[in-house]
Amino acid sequence: MEHIHTIEAEHHEGGGTKEIWKVTIILSVLTIIELALGFWMMGMPLESSLRLAVKGAIVILMLAKAFYIVAYFMHLKHEIKNLIMTIVVPLALFIWFITAFLFDGNSFRHLRNTYDPHFKEQSTIKVEKKEEKKEETKTETKEAKPEERKTVE
Amino acid sequence: MSTATTVTPTKMWSGGKSPFNVEYGKLMMWYFLMSDAFTFGAFLISYGTIRFSTNGWPDPNEVFRSFPFAPEGVHAPLVFVSVMTFILIISSVTMVLAVHAGHNMDKKGVVRNLILTIIGGILFLSCQAWEWNHLHAEGAWWGHNPFLNHDGTASSTNFTNYFFTITGFHGFHVFSGVIINIIMLIMTLTDKFEKRGHYLMIEKAGLYWHFVDLVWVFVFTCFYLI
Amino acid sequence: MSNEAVIHSPVEIGAHEEHGEHHHHHETFITKYVFSQDHKMIAKQFLITGMFWAVLGGLMSVLFRLQLGYPDASFPWLETILGKWAKGGHITPEAYYALVTTHGTVLVFFVLTAGLSGTFANFLIPLQVGARDMASPFMNMLSYWFFFAASVVMLSSIFVETGPFSGGWTAYPPLSALGDASPGSKTGMDLWIVSMALFVVSSLLGGLNYIATILNMRTKGMSMTRLPLTIWALFFTAVLGVLSFPVLFSGFILLIFDRNFGTSFYLSDIFVNGVGALPNEGGSAILYQHLFWFLGHPEVYIILLPAMGMVSEILSVNSRKPIFGYMAMIGSLFAIAVLAFLVWAHHMFVTGLNPLLGSVFVLLTLLIAVPSAIKVFNWLTTLWRGNIRFTPAMMFAIGFVSLFISGGLTGIWLGNSALDIHLHDTYFVIAHFHIVMGVASMFGMFAGIYHWFPKMYGRYLNNTVGYIHFWVTIAGAYMIFWPMHYEGLAGMPRRYYDYSIWESFKQFAELNRFISTVAMIVFAAQLLFLFNFFYSIFKGRKMTSLNPWQSNTLEWTTPLRPGHGNWPGEIPEVHRWAYDYGKDGVDFIPQTTPVGADESHH
Repeated sequence: MEHIHTIEAEHHEGGGTKEIWKVTIILSVLTIIELALGFWMMGMPLESSLRLAVKGAIVILMLAKAFYIVAYFMHLKHEIKNLIMTIVVPLALFIWFITAFLFDGNSFRHLRNTYDPHFKEQSTIKVEKKEEKKEETKTETKEAKPEERKTVE
Repeated sequence: MSTATTVTPTKMWSGGKSPFNVEYGKLMMWYFLMSDAFTFGAFLISYGTIRFSTNGWPDPNEVFRSFPFAPEGVHAPLVFVSVMTFILIISSVTMVLAVHAGHNMDKKGVVRNLILTIIGGILFLSCQAWEWNHLHAEGAWWGHNPFLNHDGTASSTNFTNYFFTITGFHGFHVFSGVIINIIMLIMTLTDKFEKRGHYLMIEKAGLYWHFVDLVWVFVFTCFYLI
Repeated sequence: MSNEAVIHSPVEIGAHEEHGEHHHHHETFITKYVFSQDHKMIAKQFLITGMFWAVLGGLMSVLFRLQLGYPDASFPWLETILGKWAKGGHITPEAYYALVTTHGTVLVFFVLTAGLSGTFANFLIPLQVGARDMASPFMNMLSYWFFFAASVVMLSSIFVETGPFSGGWTAYPPLSALGDASPGSKTGMDLWIVSMALFVVSSLLGGLNYIATILNMRTKGMSMTRLPLTIWALFFTAVLGVLSFPVLFSGFILLIFDRNFGTSFYLSDIFVNGVGALPNEGGSAILYQHLFWFLGHPEVYIILLPAMGMVSEILSVNSRKPIFGYMAMIGSLFAIAVLAFLVWAHHMFVTGLNPLLGSVFVLLTLLIAVPSAIKVFNWLTTLWRGNIRFTPAMMFAIGFVSLFISGGLTGIWLGNSALDIHLHDTYFVIAHFHIVMGVASMFGMFAGIYHWFPKMYGRYLNNTVGYIHFWVTIAGAYMIFWPMHYEGLAGMPRRYYDYSIWESFKQFAELNRFISTVAMIVFAAQLLFLFNFFYSIFKGRKMTSLNPWQSNTLEWTTPLRPGHGNWPGEIPEVHRWAYDYGKDGVDFIPQTTPVGADESHH
């Protein structure tokens, strides 16, 4: 029983207002970094590896934010280890969930690009007047004005 | 501090008490949130799969570039969504403060912070309503995508399909969170928790609310940033 | 301060205890039999609803087997029952597909998920872990009534003008996404999807409850490693459901948008006869299959694990021996539960799945053979040199092991992507999954019903009828599904209406007739069981001892007809694991018996 009481003490200790504000600041800073990266990314060429790296960094920051929310706001860090494990371990299923789905999605694209000429062609036809898009987008859809497309290459 | 580790695991698991030191309601809330994480996970992973199997994708900075009351055609990417993100983070903070106040049996603190949280939730929903409305006015809806891909090619409708479905589902969660919080507020004001001697319900509502915030972190990244 | 007081004092259990002792308030018919919050009553509700669906689903299989076995014959009485769906005594192709689809959906979800794990998780978890009731009896009640609502909606879909959904129980788009694709894809599909959504809610409510009860509400001394294997199996079942049903739910939401709101998540490049080319572009039907099978594969284990758990318990009790390899049993249950989540795409080898990815799925799939084999060996070694009592429950448990081996071995074939190219969507697959998942789990369920019937109703089922039921069913199951392996190896595809128009499958006409005939006999045997069940509730032999099987587990320490709260006094404390049979020359030592001073260690 004594042991239980010590756990209580620890349980109670966690999550003081000081910690809440600290985590708020961390979350805000992380968000601001994410946004800064987002702005920086706008000027980059589409298929550059730098862009990919920035996207990777944003994903890592996202996971960090998730960690702070779950650990401190949802108080998981201050629960006992048993509970933490039963919640964190099953989330590992997401690794294979994400990997397999995205891998197959990517493979499906390659498959179609290789064997489906129509699919491939579609993605090379540029819709005209990209510059005036701001005004045009309201009415222009790809079905509406197919004759305005021109083949590049 | 590390006394928790001195408790032998067998003792924790030996029955007659919770092995987690929590009552069943909180445990169930956690496991419900886990299963809900798989719901959202499945949505976002589907979105990723479709995006990976498509050749081009619209540039979020071109799509989400407006701001309320700004002149037509303003180019302010990421600004509005950052406001939404901060609203949700702040409402999450006030929720933690409400839970904290509940721990200390501080009814006034609970009420104040719950009201702030509810306001935050309603603000977020209003922002979302504005954004949806704006996009709808631009011709975007389920099955309609007026935006072009990054490279100027025609885009499939799945960009808007997923955007509206997932943010809609998230918005629905925010909405139910607001309702839950309003119920909590009423129960606090009518001294339900005071009579019970504890504010554990607030804690469970808090878990739900933070989860909604957590999901937004992922939605925000997937749709607006990358 | 006070928060901790609530968390750390055993108030939750205490509250229930009080409830159990002061059970004076009078219960009305409604609160006792209809909106009951007693887990035992909810279990019976699940069981009887499950039986209703089993009869209906079984009857559907008899009807479509009639078509397959006797494609040329006409049965005027069919027109009497089915009306326009059997014009001139012939089942129409639409009706045939609707029957196949509904049979699959109903058996997989309503009978073997709700009827099996809903019944026994509800009945056994509180009784065997030593709890007054579930963690949340109210949610438990909701779980049943959501299931009931799902049942009503599914049932109503049979009666709509355009018929129930007919695109297969997996509901692949585009058949499920486009109303114009087939008659069943119209209202029938809408009802199907609503029903399934309700079902997901039901199984989530139930699953959360089961997990919370098993983890949080065990009685004093009932550590996790003293739990009977039934509870471990039901625990993993609930975990599988809670983590995989939401994915199906997401998939269904996207499907609803595709059906009703003009999206194209799953649709691309489609031409419908009579409608023309559809504007939908950019979706992927494969995505639906991924989402579906992310649930669909764990679902197989949701069905199978409870049967495994009950069989382990029944084999041990009736062999008068401790279960062989208790920890290995838990370990293999855990391994199966984890692997269940990692292998879903083995249902999709021929969809154009990336071959590299496919090979990883082959590897993971074949890994399941390891824990499965461990379990089989442990069952067999439990039987080895046991003092076996061949009660009907024991017969069905042994039958389960037999079927699990026969069906499991063909799984190794199908798990190989190269072999699957030939075997995919043939009768070989039908034979495989019916034996290993369908019939085997039914056997687990029968074993459970025969074993726990005395606890449920205070009377026994008739043994003679039980033995007849067993022998007809096991012989019939093999006679139905064994020949299907040969048909499948010969390339006979599943889901076809009439094979007689094909030169290559004409040779199977006789065999198909044989299968259909046996199917009808087996169905009749199940009616015998039903009669036994309902007759015995009221007129069965009365229980004379509280512990008819001389079993160690806690449910037999309750009174003959336990009230709401299970134990009239305090909940018994547990001092040992559930499998002390034949220890130190004592036939059985209940879990409540304290460990003696000179007792040997196991």
